[in-house]
Amino acid sequence: MLRLAVSNLIQNKTRLLLSVGGLGLALTLVFFFDAVFAGATGRLTAYIDRAGADVWVSQAGVRTMHMSASALPASVVEEVKEVPGVEEVEPILYATEMVRAKGDEYIAYVFGVSPDASMGAASRVVEGELTPGPGEVIIDHAIAAQAGLGVGDQVTVLGQEMRIAGLTSGTSSVASSVAIVRMEDFARARGQGVVSFVLVRVEPGESAGAVAEEIRKQVGGVTVQTGKEFASQERKLVKDMSADIINIMNTAGFVTGLAVVALTVYIGTIARRREYGVLKAMGVRNGRLYQIVVAQALLSVGMGLIAGLALTLLLSALIPRFNELLVLSVGAGAVVRVSLISVVLAGVAALLPARQIASLEPVAIIRRG
Amino acid sequence: MTTVAGVGGSWLLALSNLLQDKLRLVLSVIGVGLAVMLILFLLGLRAGMFRSAVIYLDNAPGSVVVAPPGVSSTGAGSGRLVARETADAVASTPDVAGVTPVLLMHAIPELHGKKEVIRLTGYDALLGGGPWKLAEGREPAADDEVVLDKALASRHNFRVGDSFEIAGHQLRVVGLSSQTSSWTGTYVFARKSLVESLVLAPGASSFLLVTPSEGTRTGELIESLQRLPNTNVLLKSQMMANDKQIIAGIADQIVFLMVAAAFIVGALVVGMVIYTATIERSREYGILKAIGARSGLLYRVVGSQAIVAAGLGAIVGVGFAFGLGWLVTTTKPQFMVVIEPSAIAATLAAGFVMALVGALFPARAVTKLAPAEVFRR
Repeated sequence: MLRLAVSNLIQNKTRLLLSVGGLGLALTLVFFFDAVFAGATGRLTAYIDRAGADVWVSQAGVRTMHMSASALPASVVEEVKEVPGVEEVEPILYATEMVRAKGDEYIAYVFGVSPDASMGAASRVVEGELTPGPGEVIIDHAIAAQAGLGVGDQVTVLGQEMRIAGLTSGTSSVASSVAIVRMEDFARARGQGVVSFVLVRVEPGESAGAVAEEIRKQVGGVTVQTGKEFASQERKLVKDMSADIINIMNTAGFVTGLAVVALTVYIGTIARRREYGVLKAMGVRNGRLYQIVVAQALLSVGMGLIAGLALTLLLSALIPRFNELLVLSVGAGAVVRVSLISVVLAGVAALLPARQIASLEPVAIIRRG
Repeated sequence: MTTVAGVGGSWLLALSNLLQDKLRLVLSVIGVGLAVMLILFLLGLRAGMFRSAVIYLDNAPGSVVVAPPGVSSTGAGSGRLVARETADAVASTPDVAGVTPVLLMHAIPELHGKKEVIRLTGYDALLGGGPWKLAEGREPAADDEVVLDKALASRHNFRVGDSFEIAGHQLRVVGLSSQTSSWTGTYVFARKSLVESLVLAPGASSFLLVTPSEGTRTGELIESLQRLPNTNVLLKSQMMANDKQIIAGIADQIVFLMVAAAFIVGALVVGMVIYTATIERSREYGILKAIGARSGLLYRVVGSQAIVAAGLGAIVGVGFAFGLGWLVTTTKPQFMVVIEPSAIAATLAAGFVMALVGALFPARAVTKLAPAEVFRR
């Protein structure tokens, strides 16, 4: 049965190529958006993951960083410092801003950090200084590469002309990147007496969760989260923001793929109706013939799935070479989900030719040729 | 004469070839239609993102914007604010008829387990900048009152009189606004004094919207406002263009890659259908060749089939795109899908190119046909 299905499919290699190509691209559409958002999500939490803080304190009700604003009175820093279990605190300023370079603007999460900060400082600096000096900024390598800039060049951040002191890596995505300036440069633009977040390191042996709970009890008007909780909230934000658009694209890609595979299996079955007629005349039952059609559909979809996955992986490898900001990431979850979608797709696609087979009259078919 | 007959004949032959198997034709038209739909839908989504990105400024008063230094878009710049003194100086500048201070703040409340991006807009009811279309209720008159977007309210079952929490503050919903929802953020309106207290910046604004006095030359007013310290003065239309540019920077590469993929899917569907139709009729093509028909006629037949299949698919695809756009905007009002005539024209042109690309494989098959072999078979 499988041999017959395979021989039916590969009977015409050009047609097979066209159909696998079409299906592969349709499934690539399903993979693509998922990969774009997954890639952006990984980069989005880069600063939080590398900041080295066990606990994050923000304005009451503020649980995320992306597209959020947090404003705390500077007095909160001392209040947090007094909480038992807190070893060290580090206030930072944060805003979603634009980095302007050579006439182009790039969205950036700009952080104001003290020069001797033990948490929240620049990490993975690939070129230049680890800490920005007054009037200096550390930006992501991808932004610098895109704008044709290097260490020592000038950019506009927070409305101020700043010299690039260093370049970090792995913080940029299509929607943002990280830029770090001196706390006082940021405060000049934002106004004094306010901080955005307070980063907390807990004493050795203390649990982040327990200290977070203690801060919650003792400091009013704040939201307290462990580093893991904060990163998880950030990932949830992207997931919630992207879920609708991913569902829409999945549906559109699924329906398009369905049309392609249905067409492929239908054409393949019709082209072989003479053989099916002969099989029927020989006493082969409809159920057996259905199995051949389903096997064809599964094989087509399987090949399309492999083609779609291979193309997405190829794009994931190629695109960042041309544009470091567009990071694609194909996760195991997406592969499983699209594979399940594909199985459903094959099942539905096999329905049309199955009806054709059921209505085949052996003698008439053989006579018609 | 021969040419005309030849052309007419090729179209007839093309049609009869396509209609030979109606189900196959229907599937191919649907396949191309879905590819065209995807292209048009993606372009519509992109245009919708552009429109929703500027929906506030488009409906807000004034034609000139005074922003903090270096800020030329509303999408970012939350780290800098315009001071109260600057707003006073702008208001007392000659030829300024009105100043609308606006303070924007992003907030991400979690409602029914889902994070919602809120653009909390602080405004002064006397100076404008609030909701432009109230569907229900009234504007906020106290610092614990808020106007919610109607679509957001509907998603989370909020009604006038309910309580809504932002940044730890319990606010009472006093009105619902229409046309204030977008994928990148939903507008929620409050008194400016409330937002000032949330961002710990009394009297500050994200930007000032300036309405020039009647008869004032906008260029001259911008020049005089630019003399004020710590400001960036630009036309509102320019700020809207900058906001769109930011969206384009994020979305365009992704959208265009997907449009390219959808285009190739469409071309492959056309190719597959016309190729199969050509192979099935290879005997007839061989006979035509044997009786002296030139390759040009056969190419025309193949090309005509491709154009008919892709043309029908493109028309169906435009219909599908409008249907999908309607479905998406009805079920998810935060998405704006704007299908513009220029996008339709571009998509129909893409359908034509799809046909030509799709005809390449079958054209090669026709060229390879040897008349004698056909008779032998």
